[in-house]
Amino acid sequence: MADPAIAVRGLTKIFPVPLHRQSIVAVRDLDLRIEPGEVYGLLGPNGSGKSTTLKIILGLVSPTRGCTEIFGRDSRLVKSREAVGFLPENPYFYKYLSGEETLRFFGRLCGLGGAGLRNRMDELLALVGLTNARKRRLGTYSKGMLQRIGLAQALIHDPRLVVLDEPTAGVDPAGSREIRDLILDLKRRGITVLLSSHLLAQAQEICDRVGVLADGALVREGRLQELIAIENQTELIVADASSDLIEEIESLINRSNAKLIERRKSTTTLERLFLDATTDRQEP
Amino acid sequence: MSNETVVAARHRGVSFSRVLAITVNTLTELTRLKVFYVLLVFALLLIGSSIFMAQFTFQQEFQILKDISLGAMSIFTSLLAIIATARLIPQDIEDRTVYTILAKPVPRFEYLLGKIGGVLLLLAISTVVMSAAFLAVLYIREQSVLHMTLRQMSSAPREQVDDTLRAVRSSGLNLDLFPGIIIIYLKACLLAALTLFVSTFATTNIFTIVVMAFIYFIGHLQATAREYWLQEHSSGWITHVFLAIVALLFPDLQAFNLVDDIVAGTAISLGVFLKTAILGAFYTTIYTLLAVFVFYGKEL
Repeated sequence: MADPAIAVRGLTKIFPVPLHRQSIVAVRDLDLRIEPGEVYGLLGPNGSGKSTTLKIILGLVSPTRGCTEIFGRDSRLVKSREAVGFLPENPYFYKYLSGEETLRFFGRLCGLGGAGLRNRMDELLALVGLTNARKRRLGTYSKGMLQRIGLAQALIHDPRLVVLDEPTAGVDPAGSREIRDLILDLKRRGITVLLSSHLLAQAQEICDRVGVLADGALVREGRLQELIAIENQTELIVADASSDLIEEIESLINRSNAKLIERRKSTTTLERLFLDATTDRQEP
Repeated sequence: MSNETVVAARHRGVSFSRVLAITVNTLTELTRLKVFYVLLVFALLLIGSSIFMAQFTFQQEFQILKDISLGAMSIFTSLLAIIATARLIPQDIEDRTVYTILAKPVPRFEYLLGKIGGVLLLLAISTVVMSAAFLAVLYIREQSVLHMTLRQMSSAPREQVDDTLRAVRSSGLNLDLFPGIIIIYLKACLLAALTLFVSTFATTNIFTIVVMAFIYFIGHLQATAREYWLQEHSSGWITHVFLAIVALLFPDLQAFNLVDDIVAGTAISLGVFLKTAILGAFYTTIYTLLAVFVFYGKEL
């Protein structure tokens, strides 16, 4: 059986508070297993331990107890990070570098160089839609562009696992949609994605499985559809139905033991409305 | 070749190219922050002082020029070392760029070596530029004095003219200046490494700069304090251990002050030069290693 992309066992992180006897438990006895090719959403409110968990997985913070592995390798080992790309929450990067220079810098850190690196940079800049802005300094980039160049640097060494901390935080709906499409593209390529978010609607659209953290503990976990399904309820969405047909369906329901809970017009999402109204007006 | 094999082939425990990438990036960062403006101030100082010194004898003029230039080089490189290094780590942590870098296969010691490498390169460039400006001004003034002397002494005996020209040359541009310039650079390297060490546990660059200002002054005073202490108190092993700890925490910066000897025309012996250079390299290495040690345990 193949190694899981991420395995977390009995993970606990306690931060001591200087000059106080108390301490803060950021993560409590956490177990996670994320299979290769999955998109896993780590959900939870602010302060629930999502970012700390990601940092421990990336070896940026050491655990108080427990262990974390990336593709079967202890994640504290530098070598394990060969397989990982990371986009932190609200990344700034070096404002004095252009988009192209940023990718070259991170590529060199991953041991890339020469024509291979140049080709990879061209490919990623095209993927994230920043080819025209490649020479501009990051100081002039918008929030959405920064997130996209952040995603490009995370992918520079063709990792098998991508860790995204609040990838759409502070990004407008159009930018948010682009990032979501990029994540779905990663999924199609078989790349494992671990993302943390407190924006539940977005996670619902892209995650295969989710885990919900509260006060550092995993309180729910499973396949998204299984978690959110209401077992004793069924939705029928019918197009072009006449009022006679609707009344017939309702009377059928009334004659049975079932109960009609709600009858309403289907609606679009506010996000769809926003995108339809603004996409044509945006500058190219 | 499988993905796993590609990964294994790429990774090296220690990679010079990764360190070089961070070094070049740090140098780019510092350059684009326009820290080289300090060199402009140095050039203005040189030009200003050479205009001011036209009224002195050539010995006085060369002495003052060396004193001002080497003193300014020492202060500017020290300031540059502290200010440029103090911001590097706290800024990377605040901007979260350190997460992005260390989430790549980059060991923490390579990150720090790259950072300090960038600062040392910046200091080397600055020292070379300031030295070139200083030596050029000194050479031009020396040539001007030589021509003036020859003109004024056209009717004097040959031996007298030769003696005067020798005196001008010996007090002007000579090789004794170079060891002094190298020691100024090494002192700046030491201060950069010490600043890097302080910045690994500091939370802001202001804190680092304030601590370094204290260390800078204590470092210049500690030799005098040590002599006084050893004269006034018994020199048992506890005293020696205490003084050794103080010496490690606060390097004897006065030991790197060879400018006075150079200005006075005293040649620095090879022994003194080597001893001071080794001391500078030793302190720079020790503080860099201490910075690596602290940074390895740091929760980011």
